[in-house]
Amino acid sequence: MFLSLKEIKKEKLRYSLIVTMIVMICYLIFILTSLAMGLSSQNTDAIDSWNMKSIVLDKDSNTSLSQSLISKKQERKIKLSNKEAIIGQASVIAKKTGLTKESAQFLGINKNQFIAKDLVLTSGHKLNGNHQVIIDEKFKNDGYKLDDKLKFNSSKTNYKIVGFVKNAKLNISPVIYGNISDWQQIKNLNGQFIGSGIVSKNSNYTTNDSQLKTYSKSDFVSKLPGYSAQNSTFIFMIGFLMIISLIVIAVFLYILTIQKLQNYAVLRAQGIPARTLVNATISQSIILVISGLLIGTILTAVTALIIPNSVPMSFNIPILSSVGTGLVLTGIIGALIPIKLILNVDPVSVIGG
Amino acid sequence: MTTLQLNNINKFFGTGTSRVHVLNNINFSAQKGEVNLVIGPSGSGKSTFLTIAGGLQTPSTGSVELDGNKLSSLSKKQRDALRLNKIGFILQAYNLIPYLTVTEQFKLVKKIKKENNLDDQELENLMKQLGISELTNKYPNELSGGQSQRVAIARALYTKPDIILADEPTAALDSKRVIEVGKLFQALAKEQNIAVIVVTHDLRLIDYADNVYEIMDGQMRLNNDLKKKVG
Repeated sequence: MFLSLKEIKKEKLRYSLIVTMIVMICYLIFILTSLAMGLSSQNTDAIDSWNMKSIVLDKDSNTSLSQSLISKKQERKIKLSNKEAIIGQASVIAKKTGLTKESAQFLGINKNQFIAKDLVLTSGHKLNGNHQVIIDEKFKNDGYKLDDKLKFNSSKTNYKIVGFVKNAKLNISPVIYGNISDWQQIKNLNGQFIGSGIVSKNSNYTTNDSQLKTYSKSDFVSKLPGYSAQNSTFIFMIGFLMIISLIVIAVFLYILTIQKLQNYAVLRAQGIPARTLVNATISQSIILVISGLLIGTILTAVTALIIPNSVPMSFNIPILSSVGTGLVLTGIIGALIPIKLILNVDPVSVIGG
Repeated sequence: MTTLQLNNINKFFGTGTSRVHVLNNINFSAQKGEVNLVIGPSGSGKSTFLTIAGGLQTPSTGSVELDGNKLSSLSKKQRDALRLNKIGFILQAYNLIPYLTVTEQFKLVKKIKKENNLDDQELENLMKQLGISELTNKYPNELSGGQSQRVAIARALYTKPDIILADEPTAALDSKRVIEVGKLFQALAKEQNIAVIVVTHDLRLIDYADNVYEIMDGQMRLNNDLKKKVG
């Protein structure tokens, strides 16, 4: 540690540049990870808020809530407890004169079932009548207010905003919670269908209808349109970035070590153990990577404060901590690569001919 | 008392037709309390002699004993410890760590060898004697060649070694400093009972040597007559 700190103190410019490079790498990885997490959570925020374990859908719906319908006939074969809730999904365009039109997911729910009961509102009240809606806060950012009247698609019916809810997103669209009867009306189903699916907090929930099938939450989420492809893309991007970081950091540390071999040869000639020099190299790498990581974290936090709400970013501390730990490990691996050079440094090389 | 003994040392580099016989059946012993000068031109094998004497390389044949320890029987770690505790190396070039101040050069050694080094007062006296007491907070790039070499000498003496192995220690020094370094080696040998071995071109050090060896084409011989001629 003594050697590494003294070298950093003496060679401020050189090490500042290296730390700057590590800061940029950390910042890039953190921002990309946060964007990936943000986009990923915008697919599933609403689903996560229900704390569901399984969902019952029509078995021919390809695990898609929007393609599934449960009919009145099937209702007789379904038994619901307080852990189940019927849900009806419809894609809508919400509009109010003078405000931006919003593509949204209308989710019809029953006010007596757990989804409606468990909704955590940021303002307003829960559903207590028809033509009332609780909407995602994104609408608020776009100028929508409590008691405003919304219209969906080409319908003439007005829906009153009675509450706002945070992080209610499904498939990247903001969610509009309304009564299940309003969902039937929006879908023009004439009362023949009771919902799109049944959400359950019980992972073993089933019905007696052979046309209906229970899917786990992970199966359901993975079939959300574009979700798996998008996540895989981000995972590969971040993975490749980590590998490239490893190579870049390793190359820098390798060059640094090569530049120090003459000094190390002098120290080896004096009898300074190779272990001391190896420790100095590894501790220096850890100091550099952790410094870069801390500054990168501060930059990311500042970015989080100033980034517009429209940009989906999610700062998941456990995941970002894992990424940070990965970067420190990357630095240590980078420092370990030139260790063989240090162990084999020849003190004779510094004694003249 | 013999502290360093080299017996029938041969050193070859390369193989086949490119094989070079660098040291040819060298026998050498250094006594505590004596300054030994090894003089020879470039390529004569004097640096190879020094590195073998200091356990930095192994001879092709023959044996090296330091204070009764056969170096060939020691592990790499034990040879490191021996160098740290018993040998003070003074090297011609790259002799100081560029990112450590003069004081920190000693601190580094103290971090590894925690005991039996010069105490603060002794170090201060040594630095005064070498004319470097004002340089404690300077980095090597702020020192002249002569100052750097004197700091390197002080660093080698800091561990209170039994033997000093010096490679051209006066190469960058003016005549006045050469006399001081010569006197310092002499004093160290006599007062602290250290064996000093200096390989050099510098005949100005002859006056301070007890023994002068000539090395030429890998062969070494004692030639104290040189003292009379040069002196």
